[in-house]
Amino acid sequence: MITFGKGNLRVPKWSKRVFMVAAGCSPFRKYFPEYKLEELVMMGYKMMLEDNNLKLSPLEIKDSIQFAVYGQFADHFQDQLLCEAKIHDYLGLDPLYNVGIKTGGATGGTSILMGAQAIASGYANCCLVAGWERMDEVDTRTGNFYISTAACKDFETRMGRIYSSYYAPMANRFAWAYGLSDQVRAKIAIKNRHYATMNPNAQQPGDHTEEEVLSSRMSAYPLRFLECCAMTAGSASVLLCDEEMAYKLSDHPVEVFICGGSHTLRVADRRPMDIPLLPNEKPGMYDEFLKKNPRWPGFESFLAARFAAYLIYRMAGIKEPIEELDLVELHDAFTISDVQTYGDIGLRPYGQEVDYVESGDAYYGGKCPSNLSGGLLGTMHAVGATGIWQAAEVFWQLQNRYDYIHGDPKWWKRAGKKKPKNWKSLQVKDPKQGLWVSHAGVGSHVTVGILRKAW
Amino acid sequence: MAKPAYEKAITTKYIGTPLKLHDEKPAWVIESPRAMTHIHTYGLLTPFFEGLTKGKLMATKCVNPKCPQGSTWLPPRADCPDCYERMKWVKVPSVGTIYSFTLVDYAGIGIEMKTPYWQIDVAIKGVDTIFKGYLESGKPEIGMKVKAKFRTEKPTHTILDVCWVPA
Ligand SMILES: [Zn+2]
Repeated sequence: MITFGKGNLRVPKWSKRVFMVAAGCSPFRKYFPEYKLEELVMMGYKMMLEDNNLKLSPLEIKDSIQFAVYGQFADHFQDQLLCEAKIHDYLGLDPLYNVGIKTGGATGGTSILMGAQAIASGYANCCLVAGWERMDEVDTRTGNFYISTAACKDFETRMGRIYSSYYAPMANRFAWAYGLSDQVRAKIAIKNRHYATMNPNAQQPGDHTEEEVLSSRMSAYPLRFLECCAMTAGSASVLLCDEEMAYKLSDHPVEVFICGGSHTLRVADRRPMDIPLLPNEKPGMYDEFLKKNPRWPGFESFLAARFAAYLIYRMAGIKEPIEELDLVELHDAFTISDVQTYGDIGLRPYGQEVDYVESGDAYYGGKCPSNLSGGLLGTMHAVGATGIWQAAEVFWQLQNRYDYIHGDPKWWKRAGKKKPKNWKSLQVKDPKQGLWVSHAGVGSHVTVGILRKAW
Repeated sequence: MAKPAYEKAITTKYIGTPLKLHDEKPAWVIESPRAMTHIHTYGLLTPFFEGLTKGKLMATKCVNPKCPQGSTWLPPRADCPDCYERMKWVKVPSVGTIYSFTLVDYAGIGIEMKTPYWQIDVAIKGVDTIFKGYLESGKPEIGMKVKAKFRTEKPTHTILDVCWVPA
């Protein structure tokens, strides 16, 4: 049984409070020949500067930035080393220091964590966090192979050369252990892809039936094409500030808390351990559960997500996640990874994950809706941008600006689309705080962040 | 003596292969083909890969009496992450039970098995980890007993030199 050192469990604490004041993104597409990568990043960056009711002009804000953190998943995809230098120069931000961050699918979340650390430490009082990915330079199967090199190249990559084949065994084990049906997985795909139909930037929105999802092409049993995320070209940006700068720039800043956790790259190497308990969980509550499932986290759950949640709820002072969070954006790269995370972040106790969907809590109008943005399944997974864009979607919700960002015809026009006639608002009513999960590998790196209304 | 190049006037010729235009609209999109070879060492794990070609499943075990875990690792690793001591090679049983599985149907480019095939995760007695492989014949179920089969002739020199069949 693996145990953790006391020092390892210390809860992080910012030296200075950290705020988010602005966010932007490009439209997201499978193939985006109209623009070069730096042009796509500029698009999201300019949206961040111009469309967030900031009290300084875009160029005054440019003059206020001291540090930039850039998220990019894979040099393979960009086919450009030191891409960060090209982007940074393109945004006109030299000679400010900048750093590239790489933690797989969690790159976006980690980039925000690193930006927050720059603010919390006082290195900067205004920090740009931007991320991108251009996954359209290679065909889909080559893209699948590139992503599969984020599995262990000696022991795993050759076993599938596609990431769905590393998640699918977890899906089968989860179904066996906790009774997850195909229908519940299908519901998640249907829900998130439907929410994507309200998002002008979405790559693969659609109103699907259960039958369509469950008869779509098999990727790796039981995961089908409609249960797998997009492979995307696009960008996202957010602006982080300390308290003084935040209120100088915005009347509606949002406070930022974020923590991370990690676990083995190979699912194979996970050894059983004690479950780190969340503030709302009681010692002993998993005794019966562990008799049936003695290998926790096994293939069913993610230690990295649980550890990040363990820290973040204490850091942000949250006791009952499902009661206190008004919305969440989860890393639904696959329907199964979405389900697995419900237990890790305490939306339900372990073993009861399915109830979060079945109860209606996960839907718009429910107790704590998830992925109103359309998620990775419906809207985008431009990997280096994803965790930043998810935070942006929570941020806009907290500012009560869902309708402007998703409903204003100018964004539909920017994306080369027409706003659908049946467009409807997914603005959560007066939300106070939301959570987002940025997740890599089969759970190798996970950040969990909380954004909280600060006005 | 011929003059060295740096002392000469030079006329430069293009010796590359012109790139194809993949798209002309809405913007020029070019095709950049490439083929390359990486050389990659198995380092201290060489006995594992060599073992497969001799029909042996070799794991590493931490034998440090002060180690808080003393785990047995398959996939092996040379150094113990719990106590940082160098571990010892041990032969583990070539039988196990299926912990989970999937059918790989749509695989990424370069896949070396004919699709679809069953990828399986195998729990082996005495091993603390769960070892990924593929089932050469049959249909998997969680809990099903399997035994290892080794590619001792014409080895691939990769992890594909071991697979599993129903026991
Ligand atoms: Zn040891």
